[in-house]
Amino acid sequence: MIELIFFLLVGALLLLSLLFFTPGKPKGRKDAKPLAEVQQALDVLQFGLLSPDMVGRIFVKKDFDYVMSETTREVQRFFLAERRRLALAWVEQVHRQIVSLRRFHLGSARFYARLRFLSEMRLAWDFATVLFACRTLRAAVYLRGPYAAPRLVGATTAAAARVCGVSEKYLDFLRPARMMSFGDDSAGGSVE
Amino acid sequence: MLSLLLWRVGILLEGLLLLRGFRGKTLAKYPFFFAYIAFALADDVLGYMQYWFAGWGSYAKWFWVGEFLALIVGCGIILEIFRCVLSPYPGAERFARTAGFSVFVAIAGFALIYPHTMPALSPGGTMFELERDLRTVQAIFLVGLFGVIRYYGIPIGKNMRGMSLGYGLNVAALLVGSAVRSYAGVPLPGTWNGIMQQASYGLALLIWTISLWSYHPNPVPDTSVRLEEDYEAFAARTRSAIGAVRVHLTKAARQ
Repeated sequence: MIELIFFLLVGALLLLSLLFFTPGKPKGRKDAKPLAEVQQALDVLQFGLLSPDMVGRIFVKKDFDYVMSETTREVQRFFLAERRRLALAWVEQVHRQIVSLRRFHLGSARFYARLRFLSEMRLAWDFATVLFACRTLRAAVYLRGPYAAPRLVGATTAAAARVCGVSEKYLDFLRPARMMSFGDDSAGGSVE
Repeated sequence: MLSLLLWRVGILLEGLLLLRGFRGKTLAKYPFFFAYIAFALADDVLGYMQYWFAGWGSYAKWFWVGEFLALIVGCGIILEIFRCVLSPYPGAERFARTAGFSVFVAIAGFALIYPHTMPALSPGGTMFELERDLRTVQAIFLVGLFGVIRYYGIPIGKNMRGMSLGYGLNVAALLVGSAVRSYAGVPLPGTWNGIMQQASYGLALLIWTISLWSYHPNPVPDTSVRLEEDYEAFAARTRSAIGAVRVHLTKAARQ
């Protein structure tokens, strides 16, 4: 019986993969301007979403304490609801930019003939866990409110500093390749 | 009666598909696929003649030979999908090849260990079990291939989409059918199981006929970022960036 279940599961898995594999139209990631796309994603993360000012404004309890001490219960409820919505939007945006970075990586790596299988597997795992962490954070904010994680400001600021440092090197690494591809284009190579 | 009807419809569709392949010049583009269709047509026509002139008993002897050869020739369709969809993407192709090889090694290892740990195959059900096991290998390869195509966001054209969908559906139905048969020991002809397999093959033929009516090449990628430096460094940098974000987000989630 266990054998039968195993083979039925493999069949079901194949049918499921067909469902995901064959949507109505040819699917593919956009190839145009991947470098610009990743630069934009990094800029949004570095100078927008993860900037200390923005993270502080959303998550630090100063505003919350003021509203709690100076206003009516109705205003407090409204304030908390708005802050939660804002925090959720923030997590959603971070998630989106990470997805954008992943898209860029996959869009580049699929052309690279010397791709390493294990490195790709590790990267796939890393992307999956970061995105999972985003979802967990979203759930925490949704369930416990925006002030359930008071050390979020410090953590995200540190993350921003590290991501920015790494990302600058990352883009420096890709830019010479980009320039070489333009050189090839002028010599009659592929057109971007 | 229904079984015979499906058989005849299948022969007609196979013939139509070959004719369209010849006239629409897709035959040269997808040689493995059309080799499979040509084999299936020959197998069906010969089998049908044998059934018609010599009766079911004579056909049943031929059935398993044809079924087994069709299974082997059908692997060409997987090769076709692999070749046509992944060849413009050397990175994804390498990934799929390595994954496929790893799966093959794992299955070969399992096949060596399995006879020593499990009871022997039942003599009556050996062909069912062999078909089931080989279909399982095909299904695992297809799932892996579709997974790689999906993961790397590789665009696919109408021909390849139809070919994959049709063959995937057929393999899934044959796998389920052979698994149920090898478990319950149900004989093939006239049962719901046999009808289901014939119907799934008919559906696959219908999908192939529609999707391969004319040639639709796979979309060609417009651009590629050329990674001239060491891939390992590229991957490590991305991993490091993602790792930093993950650590901080995890910390934040725990607070």
